[in-house]
Amino acid sequence: MRRREALFLAAAGPTIARSQQLAGEPPGRIPPAAEIINASEMEAIARRRLDSAAYTAIADTGADRAAFDRITLRPRLMVSATNLDLGANLFGQPLFAPILAGPAGGQNRFHPEGELAMARGASKAKAVLIVSERSSVPLEKIAAESPGFWYQVFPEAGTTRAKIDLAVKAGCKAVCLTAGAGGTLHWAAIEGMRKDLAVPLLLKGVMSPDDARAAADHGLQGIVVSSYRGVPVPGMASPIETLPAIAEAAGSRLAVLIDGGFRRGSDVLKAIALGARAVIVTRPALWGLAAYGAAGVQQVLELLQSELARDMAMCGKPNLAAIDRATVRLHRR
Amino acid sequence: MRNWTAGRRQAIRAMAGFVAGSPLFGWQQDPFRDHSRVPKLEELLTGLDFEPVAYAKLPRWAYDYTAYGEGSEFTLRRNRQAFDWVRLVPGAAGSGQEPQTATTILGTPAAFPILVSPTAAHMQLHPDGEPATYQGATAASQTPMIVSNVASVPFEKIAPAAKGPLWFQLYPRQDVESNRELLDRVQAAGARAVVVTVDQQASVYERALHDRNLEAASLRRLTGGTRGAPRNPYRVPEGRLWYEWKLFDQLRPMIKVPMVAKGILTPEDALLCLEHGVDAIYVSNHGGRSLDYGPSSLEVLPEIVDAVRGRVPVLFDSGVRRGSDVLKALALGASAVCLGRIPRWGLAAYGVPGVQKILEIVQTEFKQAMAATGRSTLASIDRSLVRTDFP
Ligand SMILES: Cc1cc2nc3c(=O)[nH]c(=O)nc-3n(C[C@H](O)[C@H](O)[C@H](O)COP(=O)(O)O)c2cc1C
Repeated sequence: MRRREALFLAAAGPTIARSQQLAGEPPGRIPPAAEIINASEMEAIARRRLDSAAYTAIADTGADRAAFDRITLRPRLMVSATNLDLGANLFGQPLFAPILAGPAGGQNRFHPEGELAMARGASKAKAVLIVSERSSVPLEKIAAESPGFWYQVFPEAGTTRAKIDLAVKAGCKAVCLTAGAGGTLHWAAIEGMRKDLAVPLLLKGVMSPDDARAAADHGLQGIVVSSYRGVPVPGMASPIETLPAIAEAAGSRLAVLIDGGFRRGSDVLKAIALGARAVIVTRPALWGLAAYGAAGVQQVLELLQSELARDMAMCGKPNLAAIDRATVRLHRR
Repeated sequence: MRNWTAGRRQAIRAMAGFVAGSPLFGWQQDPFRDHSRVPKLEELLTGLDFEPVAYAKLPRWAYDYTAYGEGSEFTLRRNRQAFDWVRLVPGAAGSGQEPQTATTILGTPAAFPILVSPTAAHMQLHPDGEPATYQGATAASQTPMIVSNVASVPFEKIAPAAKGPLWFQLYPRQDVESNRELLDRVQAAGARAVVVTVDQQASVYERALHDRNLEAASLRRLTGGTRGAPRNPYRVPEGRLWYEWKLFDQLRPMIKVPMVAKGILTPEDALLCLEHGVDAIYVSNHGGRSLDYGPSSLEVLPEIVDAVRGRVPVLFDSGVRRGSDVLKALALGASAVCLGRIPRWGLAAYGVPGVQKILEIVQTEFKQAMAATGRSTLASIDRSLVRTDFP
């Protein structure tokens, strides 16, 4: 425990409850979405709103935090950032910022409007949304709220290509194929899905340089460095740790995206510095959804964009192209 | 030697101080401002002991403003951890000579290589504000004090309060000419050096937003967090995004005394400072209040010292709490060390005598650490004094 936390803990003790009126949020108050200051505060509100089963499904694991804590940023001063620009471009699609809202099934577990509110919030924040094939809302309705959306599918013999074609028809701009749990990749099947596809196909769940090279060899346009469905395996490296080697293997042949434990703008900046083109955040967006619906999704995405912008300014990198390997330092522990 | 990790005795004393200051024993009283027993100044043995007393005495928002670090406070914590990564190597048993600690920093004489960092708004901590801090610093062997650009009291009103050396810290304004009048005034009033703070280009004080139900509105104004709607679409405060290297060239003719650049954390920037006429490099991460996930100041000090190669002095702050911390920073090449929160705790806890006492504690500890490691002169303090294990 930190010294300061200890002091606060003591101050919050029941013996001195009278002084609580002086400290922070009154218990139980749900502040307006615009007052939430970071993703972890958003999680706290989501936790107040959800029953324990729903909350457990999206509770932060904290598993990747240690990996981010082994990377520091190198602040470079006196570089004007009056023209801050977070704009990126993926497969010809302009991005307002290199942060996408990730796929998660059955979002009506977290908010009655489910994916619809998610789509509305993401598009308010000018963020691309990746829609899970297990959406609780029909794709066409989501497409109307979030026109630049991407689609995510699980590979299943026979049915997958048909789902992809429907999504393309609904207007999706790219497709993420989530690599199966632990199973080996069936490259032949993947090539079948890619064949004559009008939009780029990305493989999500790549955790090794070999798989990245294979993905490029089999004609995929991108990969998402990610542990399966964001569930970290104890003892296994975090996506952010494997990123440098994978980005190197990918070279310019693949667009490398990443997810897994991104909670702060600084996390995003680190990933860009280590070779990612963009970052996917899923749990934080779901916390926003659970806490406030569309307004919460928007708020949490805008907070991340804002943090990234501030961190870029303080590292002397006013645009994404300026971010380089020297923006970060990797530590042994 | 005790460090940041609480030992049993330290915990008990800290808790005793806290409990004494808590409303437990004073139900009729304002739980934060009045309390039945504050430990006597003599009871406090280290600088760290002052924090709980300051906490007990201050309204929560004022305590928070002193304590907070940027974002997730990674860098704030790392500032303290970093001192554990540097171990003092016991030297040959001391010569028995009294350690000689006097030095001159950019022409300013000092009994110890220790200064008071510039920190904002001391009236939040004590009704007498900066003049009280200054009196306490002067009482502690004329410790030089750097007055913040956002002090509660104007420089000219602080200067007559005591006799010790004063420096001034500037937050530069974009219309460069508009800095001239202020710089003229503080130099006329006796500022012996000007520290230009150039970090925190885009920091926000999250806690001020967090504590929106508290009396933090004035703070928000102070830190510029919500000043006007930013023009950029990312809601980044605009106030300091314009900083550029040529600023130092433009300020140089307005500053007749030494000009110091504060907030430097990379060798690259240290070298650029030299190209732009800076007289000293001040390695600092603003006490963990500038860039979250930036490095601790201590871990980057050696590489900056190496790049500067003795051409200008290197000042250092962020995380210094003990005299041994001062010695470690000097061993890694700092010419002098500054203290930010330490004098704030002293001021909040006990006013003028508190500032004096807390500075004297650090000074005494520093001397003892020199003696314990067998170094009787500042010149003999070098890297052989430490073993570093930065991660
Ligand atoms: C409450 C507070 C206010 C500060 N205000 C200023 C300021 O006005 N100008 C400035 O250059 N630095 C300011 N700083 C940074 C300090 O000068 C110094 O870099 C930092 O406090 C050193 O870290 P330490 O507190 O761990 O000793 C402030 C720091 C604190 C804690």
